[in-house]
Amino acid sequence: MHEDIILQHEIEQWLYKESELLDQLNFDGWYELLSEEISYTMPLRINQMEKSKPDYSEATLLFDDDSTTLKLRIDRMKTDMAWAELPPSRTRRNVSNVKIKEVSENEVAVHSNLLLYRSRSTDTTADLISGERKDVLRKENGDWKLVSRWFLADQTSLGTRNLAIFV
Amino acid sequence: MTTTSTKQVPRLDEMTRSELIQYLKDTVKPEEGLIPSYIFSHPKVYELEMEKIFLKDWLFVAHKSEIPNIGDFVTREMGGQSVIVTHGADGEIHVLLNVCTHRGMKLCRMDNGNQKNFTCPYHGFNFKNTGDLIGIPFQKVVYGETMDKSKMGLKEIRHDVYADLIFATLNSEAVSLEEFLGDIKWYLDLAFNRAEMEVVGLPQKWNVDGTWKLGSDNTISDSYHTLVSHGSIAKLGLVPTGDYSKYGYQIYTGNGHGLNLGMPNPDGFAFPESLIDEYKERLNEDQYDILKQMKNMIVCVSPNIMILISSMDLKGQKISHTSLRIWKPTGPDSMEISSWMLVEKNATEEWKRLSEQAFTLTFGASGIFEQDDTENFTDITQNSKSPYHLQENIVFNYTMGMHQEPVEDFVGPGIVYKDKFNEANSRAFFRNWLDQITAE
Ligand code: FES
Ligand SMILES: [Fe+2]
Repeated sequence: MHEDIILQHEIEQWLYKESELLDQLNFDGWYELLSEEISYTMPLRINQMEKSKPDYSEATLLFDDDSTTLKLRIDRMKTDMAWAELPPSRTRRNVSNVKIKEVSENEVAVHSNLLLYRSRSTDTTADLISGERKDVLRKENGDWKLVSRWFLADQTSLGTRNLAIFV
Repeated sequence: MTTTSTKQVPRLDEMTRSELIQYLKDTVKPEEGLIPSYIFSHPKVYELEMEKIFLKDWLFVAHKSEIPNIGDFVTREMGGQSVIVTHGADGEIHVLLNVCTHRGMKLCRMDNGNQKNFTCPYHGFNFKNTGDLIGIPFQKVVYGETMDKSKMGLKEIRHDVYADLIFATLNSEAVSLEEFLGDIKWYLDLAFNRAEMEVVGLPQKWNVDGTWKLGSDNTISDSYHTLVSHGSIAKLGLVPTGDYSKYGYQIYTGNGHGLNLGMPNPDGFAFPESLIDEYKERLNEDQYDILKQMKNMIVCVSPNIMILISSMDLKGQKISHTSLRIWKPTGPDSMEISSWMLVEKNATEEWKRLSEQAFTLTFGASGIFEQDDTENFTDITQNSKSPYHLQENIVFNYTMGMHQEPVEDFVGPGIVYKDKFNEANSRAFFRNWLDQITAE
């Protein structure tokens, strides 16, 4: 039990740290948290009749990234021509309901909820991206690294002008 | 004391229909390259657009590959109306008004699926996937002999197919799809008839506080913005720097349809080599010759379709991707973008996978090209809402390329300009738009 609590604490702190880095636009810092083998995907939410079937499609991905393409996205932000985030949106990533699902020797599977608030430009209406994360973290040289992120938004038609932000 | 001014803000909302139409004719001057700001957000203009364009034109609803089997369906929206596109039990495609003929409930609330019948959630009228009404709960008791089910089928929307693209129109008097598309078909062949194409998954959707017109306007003529709006991509080395986006042709084929064709392709053939035989078989010689040299192609089918073939270098590999989107109006100053990714059915799994990844990375909702466009659409639309723009009749400048003459030596149809830095196509688009919304 004691070890479980410590692990839970460690993973939660890792997720909060990650949110903080992204909210502070420290993308290089964020990239440090990623494993070189990362798979970063966002399937499409759909309205589905049969409750037995998942209400999302993995054939359509809104993010379909690995460490190479995530690096491209981050490098792009530094070009001072990445207009989608100039000036940057203000974001708050609220991570909650952190549930450790599986623990193996050096990996944990962790599910959580993400409520991402995005304030863009002078907009008075807020963009909210709410959804479910399924992550796998792996201990690499003593540090937890993100090996896999799977994020499923709750909206079928996103209420934000683009996904120029990370989820 | 208050400040006085004799300047009047034209009150479009107080004009009669004919006054409004006259005002539009007086202020929108496509041939002079003068497009007034107010048209990008005024509710009165939007009303006309809905009525004169979106209830009249052929609109894209689905690709045939989305409903390959009997019973397959997708729900879509056209002209503010939900429709069900089915592969019916009779083997035919049906586009059905998603409105129960009893008392108007939305019959199907799913995005897609496979069903023989649709049962209304309100009182349970039961319709076949061909639209026929086949069941009414307690029919005998509640209607006696007075109800004729054969007259109560779902309203069937007129539709037709070109290059596996299913179009529908809410206008029973519209010209044929064939005539509506005209010469743009030659280029649609390059996109969707070059090989057997299939949609990957379902359309991605996202919402932008910008007018649909800016999407079409950008699609039909604007290669010039690539240098700056998408400058970050060149800086990353994903596309060449400098004026690469200039090379090729800008082509207008009529009815508000046109394209920008980027060629030659300095990187060579942008499509799977393994499919060359299929391409050659399905395209004519001239078309295949264009395909061979194509770097990219961006087509606007009026009113609101964008078709894109784009090629790039990803992870040291040349790859192209093909997509179709609609700029769906959701209000005078807002739209929903729906974007379908397509791929050659017979390409290798490896090629498909990389093509999908390239699409998502560049032109999906998170696309690194995509992102920067939505900034332009949003801010132009929001700017145009100020009454000051009406008071001063602020106009935008669409005069680029007016000194240029079309060329005659291009193999494809249309009015063709060499090089893509030109606003001729936008002038033609807005002429077509103006003619449509001011038609009696
Ligand atoms: S409205 Fe559909 S059954 Fe009554
Ligand atoms: Fe663009």
